[in-house]
Amino acid sequence: MKLLYYPGCTLKTSAKNLEKSAFAIIEKLGHEVEEMEDWNCCGVASSLTDDDLMHHLAPLRNLIHVQDQGEEKIVTLCDMCYNTLKQTNLRMKEKPDDLETLNLFMDRENDYKGTVKVLHFLEFLRDEIGFNALKKMVKNPLKGMKIMPYYGCMLLRPREVAIDDAEEPTILKDVLKTLGAEVIDNPFKIECCGSYHTIEEKKLVSDRAHRISKFAVERGSDAIVLSCPLCRFNLDVRGKEAEKLYNNYKQVPVYYYTQLIAVALGLDPKNCGFDNHAVDPILLLKKKGVFEKKED
Amino acid sequence: MPLKSYNKKMDHDLGIPLQDDYFYDEPEEIIENKTMPEIESTIKLISERAKKGEKRKIDADVLIIGAGISGMQAALDVADKGYKVVIIDKTSTIGGAMVKLDKTFPTNDCSICTAAPKMVELSRHPNINLITYADVNSLEGKPGDFKVNIWRKSKYVDPDKCTGCDDCAEVCPVNVVNPFDEKLSTRKAIYIEFPQAVPIVYTIDYENCIGCGYCDRVCEPEAITFLEKSEEIEVNAGAVIVATGFEVFEPTEMRKEYGYGKYDNVITALQFERLLSSFGPTEGKVLRPSDAKLPKSIGWIQCVGSRSEQLGFPYCSRVCCMYATKEASIAKEANPEIDITIYYMDIRAYGKDFQQYYDHARDLGVKYVRGRPSSVYENPDKSITIKYKDTLTGKIEESTVDMLVLSTAIMPNKDNKRVGKALGIEVDENGFFKQDSLLTDPIQSSKKGIFLAGCIQGPKDIPDSVSMASGAAAKAIAPIKDRPKNIGKDFPPERDVSNEKPRIGVFICHCGKNIANYLDVEKLTEETKKLPNVEFCDHMMFVCSEDSCKKIKETAQEKGLNRIIVAACSPRTHGGLFQDTLMEAGLNKYLFEMANIRNHCSWVHSDNWDAATKKAMDLVRSSVAKARHLQALSEEEFSIYPKTLIIGGGVSGMKAALALADMGIKSIILEKESKLGGRLKNLHSMFPSDTKAEDVINPMIKKIRGNKKITVMTDSELSELEGYIGNYKGKVKQKGKKKEIEFGTIIVATGFKEIDLKGKYQYGKNTNILTQTELETKLKNNELKEPKNVVFINCAGAMDEERPYCCRVGCGVSIKNAKLISQKYPKSKIYLLYRDMRVFGKEEEEYYADVLKNYHVTAIRYPGDNKPEVILDKKDPKNGPFEIKVYDDILNEEMTLPADLIVLTANTEGGAETEKLKNMLKVPVDSAGFFIETHAKIKPLDFSTSGVYMCGAAHYPKNLVDSIAQAEGAASRAAIPISQEKMKGEGIVSEVVEDKCRGCATCVEACAYSAIDLVPYSKDSTRMVAKVNRALCKGCGSCAAACLNSAIEQKGYDSKQINVMIAALLEEETAK
Amino acid sequence: MSKVTEKFVDINSMNLKKGELVKEVEELCGENLFGCYQCGTCSAGCPFVDDMDLSPDEVIRYVILDRKEVLNSKTIWLCAACYTCAERCPRNINITKIMEALRQIILRKNIDRTLLTKIAKEEKETIPQLAFVCLFRKNVG
Repeated sequence: MKLLYYPGCTLKTSAKNLEKSAFAIIEKLGHEVEEMEDWNCCGVASSLTDDDLMHHLAPLRNLIHVQDQGEEKIVTLCDMCYNTLKQTNLRMKEKPDDLETLNLFMDRENDYKGTVKVLHFLEFLRDEIGFNALKKMVKNPLKGMKIMPYYGCMLLRPREVAIDDAEEPTILKDVLKTLGAEVIDNPFKIECCGSYHTIEEKKLVSDRAHRISKFAVERGSDAIVLSCPLCRFNLDVRGKEAEKLYNNYKQVPVYYYTQLIAVALGLDPKNCGFDNHAVDPILLLKKKGVFEKKED
Repeated sequence: MPLKSYNKKMDHDLGIPLQDDYFYDEPEEIIENKTMPEIESTIKLISERAKKGEKRKIDADVLIIGAGISGMQAALDVADKGYKVVIIDKTSTIGGAMVKLDKTFPTNDCSICTAAPKMVELSRHPNINLITYADVNSLEGKPGDFKVNIWRKSKYVDPDKCTGCDDCAEVCPVNVVNPFDEKLSTRKAIYIEFPQAVPIVYTIDYENCIGCGYCDRVCEPEAITFLEKSEEIEVNAGAVIVATGFEVFEPTEMRKEYGYGKYDNVITALQFERLLSSFGPTEGKVLRPSDAKLPKSIGWIQCVGSRSEQLGFPYCSRVCCMYATKEASIAKEANPEIDITIYYMDIRAYGKDFQQYYDHARDLGVKYVRGRPSSVYENPDKSITIKYKDTLTGKIEESTVDMLVLSTAIMPNKDNKRVGKALGIEVDENGFFKQDSLLTDPIQSSKKGIFLAGCIQGPKDIPDSVSMASGAAAKAIAPIKDRPKNIGKDFPPERDVSNEKPRIGVFICHCGKNIANYLDVEKLTEETKKLPNVEFCDHMMFVCSEDSCKKIKETAQEKGLNRIIVAACSPRTHGGLFQDTLMEAGLNKYLFEMANIRNHCSWVHSDNWDAATKKAMDLVRSSVAKARHLQALSEEEFSIYPKTLIIGGGVSGMKAALALADMGIKSIILEKESKLGGRLKNLHSMFPSDTKAEDVINPMIKKIRGNKKITVMTDSELSELEGYIGNYKGKVKQKGKKKEIEFGTIIVATGFKEIDLKGKYQYGKNTNILTQTELETKLKNNELKEPKNVVFINCAGAMDEERPYCCRVGCGVSIKNAKLISQKYPKSKIYLLYRDMRVFGKEEEEYYADVLKNYHVTAIRYPGDNKPEVILDKKDPKNGPFEIKVYDDILNEEMTLPADLIVLTANTEGGAETEKLKNMLKVPVDSAGFFIETHAKIKPLDFSTSGVYMCGAAHYPKNLVDSIAQAEGAASRAAIPISQEKMKGEGIVSEVVEDKCRGCATCVEACAYSAIDLVPYSKDSTRMVAKVNRALCKGCGSCAAACLNSAIEQKGYDSKQINVMIAALLEEETAK
Repeated sequence: MSKVTEKFVDINSMNLKKGELVKEVEELCGENLFGCYQCGTCSAGCPFVDDMDLSPDEVIRYVILDRKEVLNSKTIWLCAACYTCAERCPRNINITKIMEALRQIILRKNIDRTLLTKIAKEEKETIPQLAFVCLFRKNVG
């Protein structure tokens, strides 16, 4: 199967490791991935005022280009891109008048017909690959690792675009179980990491990271798994900075689920870009002996 | 906590005969292995029936679907009028949701104790055919002639043989999650729902039965019949009442943020109710599920699933504020050390005595926090942390409790759609059954001849359900009123015991744990056995249960007992039940005595086991002493004048008259004003709708005027009343003339009035300060000038020291009137100052939300101890504008609102004629002037004086819908004696010893019921002696106490009986 | 007595007549603020509430009461649009959109909350790019 992929800005810059590890998995699973042509920024934050159609233009243009390439599905890796594209897609379906206005406005583009489906890579793994199939391919089970899944906001809210239950999501838990890790539940798994405040309100975001991680650590987790590049930055980098603000606080490593899958599938750790983390992610994997557990 | 999904299983309980042949695949082998002497005959019976292809047919007058408290009340009301009832229930017992509850608000009456006598009465009623474990499949025909197909599932237990001994359940190896205990416990695959189940017949849960046959092997009466088939029964009925009740929302799909099903110590309020119940999984102890320890703190979250426009139901569930308050109070009273907090949005303590109940809970130390928690999480010690904003302090808080209770929504039965389809009646958008007209015909379903009772058309508390059920009974009589009636029970002839020496049987009740946990019933039994003349004594879990009553009857016959004593609770609630048992055993019902070892002993001496045991022995000994001297008494029979007097010609009175007329019963409406219509005459429209008041009353008045069975007397007042149930004579003052009328029963429908505000909020000092009624009259007459700023002030003169109660209707009326002003003058700015927004139930809540949203009413919550202040204009205090100072509870700051119209929601009190009527009818009235019913929960329409009933706002202010349901209910109650045509009086009456009587007339004065007259002495006509009218005498004993010469004896309590009781009480060790 | 102490914008320059604030907000966000029961669910679940001068339910209250100083509240800028409040609100009010509407009232007057020049070069290089796009979308008109 060939996957058409929408990267977004961050996957090409500070979250290259998310892209690389995902690509390695796709290849290992025997599928192809193709980056869509002529993509542009998704706009990151979905338009929240009713009269503001302008900010739907960017995501819509991407959807049109997917349509132009004759594809029905577009897979994203970034949670924010996923959310923005999907919210625009939904609005275009629910409000045909808005779609018409925008189609008229974009006279250089083809008209959008509303047929594209926006998928998050997690959905692809769950619904099209299946966790059972994935489980069979695990070579280095993450045995002994106690990990807290962290979802953040954009995978779950608003409910209309969620990939899982908005209050009790399980998809990352299921990934971890598939990989053989022990799952530590955390009620803060669905709470905001601080998002873009990481630029102007660093302490605020460090506080968030501290609160979320501390709860996980208190319940015995030694790592956090997540999917969003901004959440990763905030929990990892701002979490590390929180060590200076809170006595005896130590930030645990933060992984992308793609990194853990890649490791568990026995892929070369180079695919994971572990050097780009504030808290060393390799140390724990080594400590738990994950790399030595090759089962074949 | 076993939280296995039970839903799948429940679907099979619908009576779909899919798996009925479950036991036919393999049973041959199992059965062959056992020696079952009856197999052959059972097989023969079934095959014969099958060969004929016949289904059982039952002819009845009314079919009732659902035997919860509503269904039971409706059944008894119909059956008491002499008509045949078939009542079915989906479960294997009757009692519905009420029997799951521990106690009921606001009286804290034991729930099973009030429901059980009704259950037993129902099962014994000669006109009622009870079919449990059955459901309705289809209906055809028209009112007066319905054919309804019922599917009765096999219990695989022969009801005639099962003794309810529990041997089968003891050996059954299968544990099934117990839906009766709300999944907190398990039961066996052969089970009864609860110890007092009626009928007391075990049921095999075929889905979970593994067919091992253990039960069959241990069953001594050989009641297990694996081959008994489920059957289709055709019921022919003239009318159908649907009373299938409600379900409780389980927050597993929606509102997961409260952790139900995920965290052990998060439970629903109904589960908590089971924890409190004496026959629940913890036998009444409050223990948290994770470790079975007493929690140090408990939190309640209100409105879980209710009042939710997303992830829930838009309506208010109406009962949760009060049940949470009740549960919290009970837990707090039993364990004062528990820290209890209830998180709420508005406390809807709207009903009679509800506000006082809520105040009492706060006095007990139950904390109320206004704030709806956002989410909860579990801590490593399994405690639960709640995140909330205390909206009255403005603080964002986290609070940790050992146990969290969710007051989850009442929701429509999932089965409603199927039942609706089977019966051809419609459900609304929520899934509740639709009323034909919410405002004027709330009991009528969307199909003629089918009526609704209880929570099936929206959440309701018990008295409202019971009232509505009586109303449904009245409506159901209409299509069948001319059918033959069957009155009274046939009892075996009474055995003459006057020449026998006393042979006393004593039955001692555990009352679950109510008695047995606080005193030694074993010892009491042993000591009682030693007393002279006691031939038999035993103790039982519940003497009032059906099997216990059966045992009393059998024992009385076997042992030739001629006096029966029950040592249990109060004769007021249970006496009649046991007297019936005596009559069934062929004994005169006055050969019965009750020793109240619960209310008078175990409850009040719960902290002293030995002393309580001793006192119980004293009480029983004294009862035995009296019982030796009990004599058979006779009852006077008298006829009933077939007409009802209705006092008050408002909506309630008119609806009652129409309901009576539909049942073929004549009535007289007495109205003090010159026109019918009551308060509605002056009102504009009716909450929770936009229907004009005149559109409600005018068609009613027209119908009444055209109905020959109804006599209307306007400008009339009852000035004199004499007589008693069935035989009343009254004098009516009409425009200066006096008229005499006769009637058999009385319905009081005198309504309420707004209180005199006595200058509160400057009322009376400025022409633009109005009460709600004044405003409505202005609106109705189009006299309201356009106001710029309107301020509504709710709770004027309510919930304060002088009047501690809530008026129940004020919030709704203020919302409606705010909408009316806004519709008429869209530019007017409207502020609504309130304390708690008490728009309860279905429709009201939605109406409120709609008005806030679409008419932009600004609601401001003010604290009860800091009431708004009205400041008049200095220059023009009489007509000028004013300012209102109000403390906004939510923002915690004082605001000043300019206004040119103030509308005060004045509290209410009983109608003007209450005081006069109270004395004339000899009925009680509370401090607010509202009439007091016999029992707040299960007899909301009756007075303790028989033959007199009440409805509408005379009982307590209520909205139109509830008033109409009550009015039709009162009509049903008042129709019972009339339908019976004859009644029996009391056996316990006073008797004059004429030889001793000096004719001083002291007793005549003492009698509150005018039952005594002076008449010439039979042996010496020059001498006057007292004579008691046996029909009027209530047996109160005042005359006997007043008589200076001991010339009056009260039967059943004569001097000798009392003296020996006292002597026995003072005796230290009679037994020796 | 107002809880808003910051003076970010001159309220009088917002051209909002008496009673117009709520209309403007409702028009922008399509939500009905009067449906709010002031239950506090949104505030209790808000991850940033500790740093806010007005809690989200108070923002709604201020708007309803036509208190224009709500436009100077820190709250509207702290809201990161995580939608938790909108998800749980029993009244189905999308508070997230209300916050955006209030921001937009200011941003559409060409008043920016964030000054791009104040962001250090190092930060521009280390912080994920999407954070900047997001910040500009929220704080720059």
